[in-house]
Amino acid sequence: MPNYSIEDILENPANTQGLYGYSGHIARINLTTGEVSDVDTYQYVPKYVGGRMICNRIFWDEVPTGTGPYDEANKFIYMTGPTTGTGIPAGGRSAAVSVGASNAPNMFAWGNIGGWFATELKYAGYDGFIIEGKSETPVYICIDDDKIEILPADDMWGMRVHEAQAALEEKHAHEFKSIVIGPAGENLVRFATLTTGNDSVLAKGGFGAVWGAKKLKAITVHGTGVIAPADLEKLDFLRWNMNNPGMKPSPVLHLDAIGTPGAEFPVKYDRGNMSCSPGCNQHCNALLMDGVSAFGDDLVNHTEKCVSICTFNYTTDIPAPVGMFWPTEQNYCAPCKLLGRDFPVPDFSDPHFEEQAQVVLPDKLDFWGPDYERGTIVNDLCNEYGIDKWEVVVWMMTWLSMCKTEGLFEGMGNLGCEHEIDVADAEFMKEFISNLVYRRGEYGNMFAEGMHRAIRELGYDKFSETIYHGRYSTMLGGKRTDLPVSLEAAWGSSMHWQGRGYEGSVEKPTWLAACINNMMNTRDAQTVEHFHAKFDYHAEAIADPYHSPHLIDAIIAVQNNAEIKDSVMSCEWQSPDPWWPEMESEMFMAATGAPMTPEELRDAGFRSKLLFRAILIRHYGRTRRQEVEQEWRVMQIPDTWNEVADWQQFNEMVDLIYEARGFDLETGWPYRETYEKYGLADVADEMGKLGLLPERPAERWSDYGEPPFVKFSENRKLEPDYEPDPVKASMPLEGAPPALKFS
Amino acid sequence: MEGYGNHIVQYSPEYSLCAGCETCSIMCGLTHDGFTGPGNARIRINLGTRSLMHEVLACQQCDDHPCYEACPKKDAAMRIDPDTNIVYIVEDDCIGCGKCAKACKFTPSRIQIRKNKSRKLWKAVKCDLCRENPEGPQCVKYCIVRCLGLSDDSVMLPEGVMPAYAQEQEVANA
Repeated sequence: MPNYSIEDILENPANTQGLYGYSGHIARINLTTGEVSDVDTYQYVPKYVGGRMICNRIFWDEVPTGTGPYDEANKFIYMTGPTTGTGIPAGGRSAAVSVGASNAPNMFAWGNIGGWFATELKYAGYDGFIIEGKSETPVYICIDDDKIEILPADDMWGMRVHEAQAALEEKHAHEFKSIVIGPAGENLVRFATLTTGNDSVLAKGGFGAVWGAKKLKAITVHGTGVIAPADLEKLDFLRWNMNNPGMKPSPVLHLDAIGTPGAEFPVKYDRGNMSCSPGCNQHCNALLMDGVSAFGDDLVNHTEKCVSICTFNYTTDIPAPVGMFWPTEQNYCAPCKLLGRDFPVPDFSDPHFEEQAQVVLPDKLDFWGPDYERGTIVNDLCNEYGIDKWEVVVWMMTWLSMCKTEGLFEGMGNLGCEHEIDVADAEFMKEFISNLVYRRGEYGNMFAEGMHRAIRELGYDKFSETIYHGRYSTMLGGKRTDLPVSLEAAWGSSMHWQGRGYEGSVEKPTWLAACINNMMNTRDAQTVEHFHAKFDYHAEAIADPYHSPHLIDAIIAVQNNAEIKDSVMSCEWQSPDPWWPEMESEMFMAATGAPMTPEELRDAGFRSKLLFRAILIRHYGRTRRQEVEQEWRVMQIPDTWNEVADWQQFNEMVDLIYEARGFDLETGWPYRETYEKYGLADVADEMGKLGLLPERPAERWSDYGEPPFVKFSENRKLEPDYEPDPVKASMPLEGAPPALKFS
Repeated sequence: MEGYGNHIVQYSPEYSLCAGCETCSIMCGLTHDGFTGPGNARIRINLGTRSLMHEVLACQQCDDHPCYEACPKKDAAMRIDPDTNIVYIVEDDCIGCGKCAKACKFTPSRIQIRKNKSRKLWKAVKCDLCRENPEGPQCVKYCIVRCLGLSDDSVMLPEGVMPAYAQEQEVANA
């Protein structure tokens, strides 16, 4: 029976610390045996806080090494946080981990998702669930308070995302909240997503395919119980102060043009604010109304965030103001507000305002021209089939565009399509995406495996490293700077705020930070690890980005905060607030009533990252050389200033990060004392038994070896206008916009 | 509005679109009972899973109050405020029989039953416009997008204007 009162929560015998905020139970559901059992949440908290931190611990404890994404031994571990459903802003989100299907190589992956599902699950009395085993036939899981059933889903197998959601509401009741997979997940498309009721998506990791392999179509939940935060006065304070919400009407906007100033194009775009999850006090400008559907004549509403807007027009990269990453106390604005153009009036008295307001102008890319209708169709295809828009828009479409421009498809027909290859044509996109979702033909099967694998199947050197000659740097007055035809970054993910390609027009310290974060991860980390650092340290970082102590501190803080926000439960746009470092601990205390200083919470984030590191080392043999090599190629593509990373200096930067993390410089493995310092002595013992605990060397290690070969760099040297002198190449050309000055 | 007393209304999307955050429901439960859930939200949202258009469901404060008429303990468990004509519930006297909820003329019923593990402690809950709270309805207070108001005395605020109580809150928190 769910909790129906505060007493029910506090009188749970396992709740020995009298914690509010949690429901107290985690459901263990085995699809092989059909067994359902109960796991006590309180064995993990407050030490592991909630959300991703608990997921990490359960994965470490329960998932054997050698487990692949589609194996019966793989588990899908999903957790809410203590703030979920409490009314603490952004707490309505939730986190999940599993062995991913989309990353390369396949390994532990993580993600988060909004929607109403997480709160409903807590009403049913559960903080999360662990899905084990795999079914022989299509099933879905129905959680109706404490009644959990595994039910046949034969009649829903094959349904698109929204059809499946509607079917579940029809079978049970409108109040049931669901997470579903579309046909892509069923057909093991590696970048298949999980989608919940308001189009909130867990896109990274390819968990849709993990569910597909388990023959799990959906989980639907309804709860009648309660959620009880501990401190209503503090909760009220958080509501009025997190992100300084301005109470104001939010009318539907009728836009007849969108685009950067001077490059607007006509649209019929009705846009509204929406909340991704219950209790949020911020509303992202993400509701696209009356879009053209890919599947019929009806106009449909979508939730569309940052990457979706590129489907409408991708002639340039996205301009980025310096202050977006380097805020001052007087001028700080969450990136979503910048994207939604809903930012507050700047404080012009800020002595750093002019520097902060400078914009790194976008590279000219010319991937496809403006067409609003095409954009809504592509977005609808992704939403309904359940596939990751980052893979489709940032990587697949740009690759198709660049390869076609460079003439790489000659002799390959239309990649199995009847329509001519043209990403600007909605009919081609419908056919190409449909083919891969249903694995039709040679190319459908190939691209269902994701861009990382498809490109290697086709031939890496040609289909990844060929130069695209259509990129020009605005910051260098139009100098051709080149891209490879594949915008691949590390671990099978596309580029993201990494100084080139998509969202690449940023300064070197910012892109170095993004590269470090992705390097140490297993997927694109930017969804919760967007880089932020106080503007106070900007000049230091610009002067020497590889050796800036404050930049290193900021990267570590961003990484730890990613664990915290996925565990206390918040979102990328609410957390962290650089000027309110206590915010997340105040959220935790308001929800649970348990004391937690900012330092203790920071240590919990550090602990979670360490556990993540231990998983990578034990399960996948992660080493320094492995991860530096993964990241190196993207940094050898010129940035907006036509600069690339330096091997020696980048390795020195990695040294500083590892030292701050308590890792051995040569192996990249944490020392025993690092594990012990953060309460993971048992993990250290396990690593010791496996021979994965490094000894401290007598002398500081610095043998970085030679940089890995990058074919794209070699190709560039053959270009007639390639300028190998990095100093000369980074000099602004005559007539260029003024360069940023931060001395 | 004929036949109905002063009640919570949802404004037109052209004035302000409901964002589906359900903060109104959550804060309703928290401010009344200290916890939140579907059983104690006096205001609920019919969420548009596909349409993303959401409908606010709150008591319309019917003049003929069929809920009150159906209550076996009327004037004790369910009473009428003589000043506002609003029907309100006195929990200590409510036996949680659910007859008021069934008698509600709207679907779904605007009256919820707050469950308890002991059936004897079930209670009906219903919007009474936070009659004992000097700040007025808390759902209106906490609606960030200001898509909620009162049918009799709604005030369309100019964009960006923060209501007095929120300004006071800011000062107090500073």
